[in-house]
Amino acid sequence: MKAAVVVYPGSNCDRDTYHALKLTGFDVDYAYFFDQDLSFEGYDLVVLPGGFSYGDYLRPGAVAARENISRKVKEFAENGGLLLGICNGFQVLMEMGLLPGALLQNEKGKFICRWVDLVVEDNTTPFTLAFKKGEKIRLPIAHGFGRYVKVGEPRVVFRYRENVNGSDEKIAGVASESGNILGLMPHPERASEEILGGEDGRKVFLSIAEYLESRGAEK
Amino acid sequence: MRYYKELLKRLGREPTPVEKEAFAVMWSEHCGYSHTKKYIEKLPKVGLGGNAGVVALDEDTSIVFKIESHNHPSAIEPYNGAATGVGGIIRDVLAMGARPTAILDSLHFHRVIDGIIEGIADYGNSIGVPTVGGELRISERYRYNPLVNVMAVGTAKNEMIVPSKASRAGQVIVVFGGATGRDGIHGASFASEDLTGEKATKLAIQVGDPFAEKLLIEAFLEMVREGLVEGAQDLGAGGILSATSELASKSGLGVQVHLERVHLREPDMQPWEILLSESQERMAVVTSKENAKKILEIAKKYMLYGDVVAELIDEKVFRAFYKDELVMEVPIDILTTPPYEEPLNYVPGEMPDFNELDFSYTDATQVYEQYDHMVGTDTVIPPGFGSAVMRVKTGKFYALSIHSRADLTLQDPYWGTYITVVESVRKILAAGGQPLGITDCINYGDPDVAPAGLAAIMYALKDSAEHFELPVVSGNASLYNTYAAKPIPPTMVIGMVGRVEKVVKPKKGKVYLAGWHGFDLKREELLHKAIMKARESGAFVLTPSNFKALVTYEKSFARYGMKLKVKEIEGEPVHQMVLVFGKDNLGIPMQEIGVLR
Repeated sequence: MKAAVVVYPGSNCDRDTYHALKLTGFDVDYAYFFDQDLSFEGYDLVVLPGGFSYGDYLRPGAVAARENISRKVKEFAENGGLLLGICNGFQVLMEMGLLPGALLQNEKGKFICRWVDLVVEDNTTPFTLAFKKGEKIRLPIAHGFGRYVKVGEPRVVFRYRENVNGSDEKIAGVASESGNILGLMPHPERASEEILGGEDGRKVFLSIAEYLESRGAEK
Repeated sequence: MRYYKELLKRLGREPTPVEKEAFAVMWSEHCGYSHTKKYIEKLPKVGLGGNAGVVALDEDTSIVFKIESHNHPSAIEPYNGAATGVGGIIRDVLAMGARPTAILDSLHFHRVIDGIIEGIADYGNSIGVPTVGGELRISERYRYNPLVNVMAVGTAKNEMIVPSKASRAGQVIVVFGGATGRDGIHGASFASEDLTGEKATKLAIQVGDPFAEKLLIEAFLEMVREGLVEGAQDLGAGGILSATSELASKSGLGVQVHLERVHLREPDMQPWEILLSESQERMAVVTSKENAKKILEIAKKYMLYGDVVAELIDEKVFRAFYKDELVMEVPIDILTTPPYEEPLNYVPGEMPDFNELDFSYTDATQVYEQYDHMVGTDTVIPPGFGSAVMRVKTGKFYALSIHSRADLTLQDPYWGTYITVVESVRKILAAGGQPLGITDCINYGDPDVAPAGLAAIMYALKDSAEHFELPVVSGNASLYNTYAAKPIPPTMVIGMVGRVEKVVKPKKGKVYLAGWHGFDLKREELLHKAIMKARESGAFVLTPSNFKALVTYEKSFARYGMKLKVKEIEGEPVHQMVLVFGKDNLGIPMQEIGVLR
């Protein structure tokens, strides 16, 4: 199980995500923005972590979606690789056009950092196998631009249980139709150890591991 | 300029226009600590000293921490003033070789000022350092002089700690980071005068770029890991002038600076402007000629500017060139040893009966929810419960608090300060911590008009630190917090760090009030023992200063799905009562007061 955590210059959850993946048993490497020979060949999972990719002075994720790494990320996903975008990573995926919709500034115009209650709507993606359908979970959010605006009918994976940022239909995370790309605003890596206040987020990484193992067995 | 006559005497001649500008900054209260230096010398200390204080968490890991104020800039330009306050103190911790791990803030306002909160939030959130604690005090007395004090904390492997000085002639100084512009010129002198003074314009305010700061953090830590950094100092007040002269003079060396090598944001800057610019997100690194190239490569990799701008020399002078033109040359010791004011003697009186003043405590959850307090995945006890508890991923823990009692220091600066330290110790003990050290930030009015109050505060800091056998490892003084000559209440902010062996989280159950309604210093030790006993038995403890202000606790428990319900508690403005969760026999007076459901 090999995972790469992309490090944009303004990423700040890269080390947290690395730590959570290690805890779950992944071999993890960083994929740095300054690495000219960057390649995702041989990786099972690529994660775009939270942060402020290129400073996000324009629109969150707008610059990141238009530079070299994203071309390789796109290629990786088109070949069926598992691609996970957390928070700013979700914003980047959206800017890249890999997931439908848009992420705008929170309804009240302020950054929000707290634990929120969620429900798992779809447990058939590689990222949610370990959950039950309809399972109620708690994960932290930390974002200023997390208000999901719907375009068409997205494949909703996570939904807030109450309105936290004004998202359409309280949507917190969506997957691509094929299921190999997931973007979500909450931070599963921050809920991967009991001492941090909860372990529901760890199940996202356990799901991926389970999926990769079963796929490996099939092959 | 204050001390102008002294300058003439020491130089033995008229200063040039450039020198006048340089000394105005270096001898400002902000850089020179003229009014507090002699008191600071008497404080109990440990270790090396430097950009920030260092205490040992265990045999492998050090904790680096310091508080700094950004009051004057935040009054004039709330957003950038507060943001750059965060950036500056983070770099102080970083310069010691530590990865910044936590921010705490102490805010005194007449109402919640959104611009300041957003300035702190946007900067801290972007650079990936969690804001894990703070205090928010509201009083009309801060209407014209809001106080913004920020404490930064970092951890480092002991062998990675970087000295804040050069060590030999022949070393060079690389300045790297963002580009240098005209922002913040004379920020230090502006911060040393009344807010209606001539320098109180927005031009004196620095502008922050958190994206550059994030890159600066990662680049600098890589340089430290690669063993390329022989000394470091961040560029803050006094910019290149202050950083290079201090790095040199602390080791009895001199320095030659080449201003044309500095990467400029505004190409038409005058040499003296380059020398004094307080542009943010810059760091000065002392290294060898051979390693300078590697340092520049790392800076470039992280998309930062970098240049070798100075070399250390044996001759004890500060010399600045622009191309081949000599811009300034003075004996370096004159520059870096500002005149100081003679300290007063202070003999404390009896502790007075304190009155309740118009300081209110608002719901702080509305503020800390705007701060990312979880990034880093090391926040074990989040904001809202007194002290924060952080972990090091090696399995060690430490507690952090920031605390002040301006309502008391206003009535009696000595005892108000003393009690602030007493209550800070309580807060750290309540989080399961053994206190390791203090950092302090004095916010004061005009020390020339009211020198005795400042003396009282400094003596109280010394006496209380000695009483608890705690070193004061770093500190900051913000004086001249006046508006049209009217001062703020003397406000002494104490930051404290403790080592935590066992983490205790709140559990539902009965809540007890333990201790005494009034205050008696001789009894404090009994209270401390009771708190430790409660903690050892696994009980959660909270130590509110004011029992009329439990709203932040209530809201914070609610965030974690718990409801705190306690009877109204009558207490003196200074009391010795704590809330104990689920344990009723601590050997001091206790009564059941409510429940956590």
